[in-house]
Amino acid sequence: MTTLDTPSAQLWYHQPAKRLAILLLFLAAIILLRANIPVDSLGDKGQTFVTIFQSIFIEAVPFLLAGSLVSGFIEVFVNRDILFRFVPRNPFFAALAGGGLGLLFPVCECGVVPVTRRLYQKGLPLSMGIAFLLAAPVINPVVIASTYAAFGWGPMLWARVGFSFLIAVTVGTLFYFARPEEILRPDSQDDHDHCEVDHDHEIVDIPPGARLWEALATAGDDFLDMARYLIAGSMMAAAMQTLVSQPTLLALGNGTISSILTLMMLAFVLSVCSTVDAFLALAFINSFTPSSVLAFLVFGPMVDIKSALMFMGVFQRRVVLYLILLPLMMTLTITVYLSLNVSW
Amino acid sequence: MIPTSTKSLVLIAMGLYLYSRFFGGTLLFYINERFVILTLFAAVGFIIVGLSYRYRLPNAHEGHEHGNLSWAGLAIVVTPIVLGLVIPPKPLGAAAMSNRDVRLESLTSAPAPSNDVVLSKPKGERNILDWQMDFWSSPDPTVFNGQEAKVIGFVYRDDRFKANEFMVSRFTISCCAADAAPIGLMVRSDEAKLFPTDQWVEVKGNFQAGQFDGKEMPILIADLLAPTDIPNQPYLYPY
Repeated sequence: MTTLDTPSAQLWYHQPAKRLAILLLFLAAIILLRANIPVDSLGDKGQTFVTIFQSIFIEAVPFLLAGSLVSGFIEVFVNRDILFRFVPRNPFFAALAGGGLGLLFPVCECGVVPVTRRLYQKGLPLSMGIAFLLAAPVINPVVIASTYAAFGWGPMLWARVGFSFLIAVTVGTLFYFARPEEILRPDSQDDHDHCEVDHDHEIVDIPPGARLWEALATAGDDFLDMARYLIAGSMMAAAMQTLVSQPTLLALGNGTISSILTLMMLAFVLSVCSTVDAFLALAFINSFTPSSVLAFLVFGPMVDIKSALMFMGVFQRRVVLYLILLPLMMTLTITVYLSLNVSW
Repeated sequence: MIPTSTKSLVLIAMGLYLYSRFFGGTLLFYINERFVILTLFAAVGFIIVGLSYRYRLPNAHEGHEHGNLSWAGLAIVVTPIVLGLVIPPKPLGAAAMSNRDVRLESLTSAPAPSNDVVLSKPKGERNILDWQMDFWSSPDPTVFNGQEAKVIGFVYRDDRFKANEFMVSRFTISCCAADAAPIGLMVRSDEAKLFPTDQWVEVKGNFQAGQFDGKEMPILIADLLAPTDIPNQPYLYPY
């Protein structure tokens, strides 16, 4: 952790001429490539893949940047002692608070990941962070407003918000007994446990004038850390969409349970931002049962291809699996119960 | 460890890339126009964040790098930029319809919030989606007989189509191209075979109820078929 850059690494990036040369080479390579690739050489499937990949990325990237900025500002401006004054001691109440935290930080499923990681570095309890991670993509003003716009004040809106909260808080509470080092990746854990050097550089050792730049640069580091997961996830989602036939998928959804599973699978594959998925769900309302549309609206924001990959930047692999399976099982149980007992 | 200057450069490049999509007019090939403003904010944000590394105090984070970004990780981050520069932007076309649900016949669909707005639109200005919504709301296809339409879309056909038929199609999106759903109007014309699949065309004609694939639907009998460029806004927005 404390090793400085090696001299050779220092050397090349301190020489502007070399840096410029590398940049020019890179640009020349791109121009050459572009000139030599005929427009349609990619094939139709390839072109479709690229367009869908770019569209998921371009749609999601402002939200990831916003989340990274929130994270950067928390790092520099929020003192951990102040944070702890507001964190409930009881893990269950901490999970409850985590479930509602999205009302304060309106982030969707891309932005929530860097914020959660930063809060964990500040020592946030596991249960609260997981509840926040799962609930915030639905329980925030923007998503509630878009769900209202699509479905109005009805059972769909209340059920979406209520069950998302319930699932998030339950999953959060399940991590009550776990220890952070079993759950989180080393670089997401509380700074103070694994470093010998005391480097709590919030506020204390940064002059006030430099804090803004420090926050912004920290946001940049955070973005670069998380963006690779977003990009890999967007690629997988685009590949699935290019290869999997949607009519075949939708035709599976005839029975009570299979229609719920179908829309959950679709939510996972589409990886559409939670701020707009309500409008998309509207298109299914006549061909699917209300409980399967609810499953789409509850499960999709918590887990989809790109957010599952982004979880891997915060949690250990085994835990990512739990974070996919637990919401999946709970959403399935709730919506199957509703469809059998309320005939929804 | 990635040098700070490289990180800064990648972030600025990301901002310039997003701006280039806007400036080049291809941003709407990817996302709903209501998100354009977010892309612009992000472009400015990336450039500011990229520049901030210059002003960051070096001692504040020395020996304390939490990031675990490798060169391979960085290569993934620049993939969208490289793909964007190397592969010419193109909106979704007929190829993307093969694994999607093609809405041609009058589907029972949820009444769209904008339905009243659509129905009050002058018929000459209606696009494919406006006509589709009108079809969805009236079960009898013959009520459209003789109504004149002028629409723009791309040519789609599969093995159900005869030589004098194609579908003039558009994708509707609510979020981005990832949720694109194809819609279209049946077109009949003797000149239909002159227009290859995926070609953007302007179609002018009158509706006449007819059979296609065993179903009764309004069919646009074309008086005028003309090739046209990809519109600036290739997708239609249902909400």
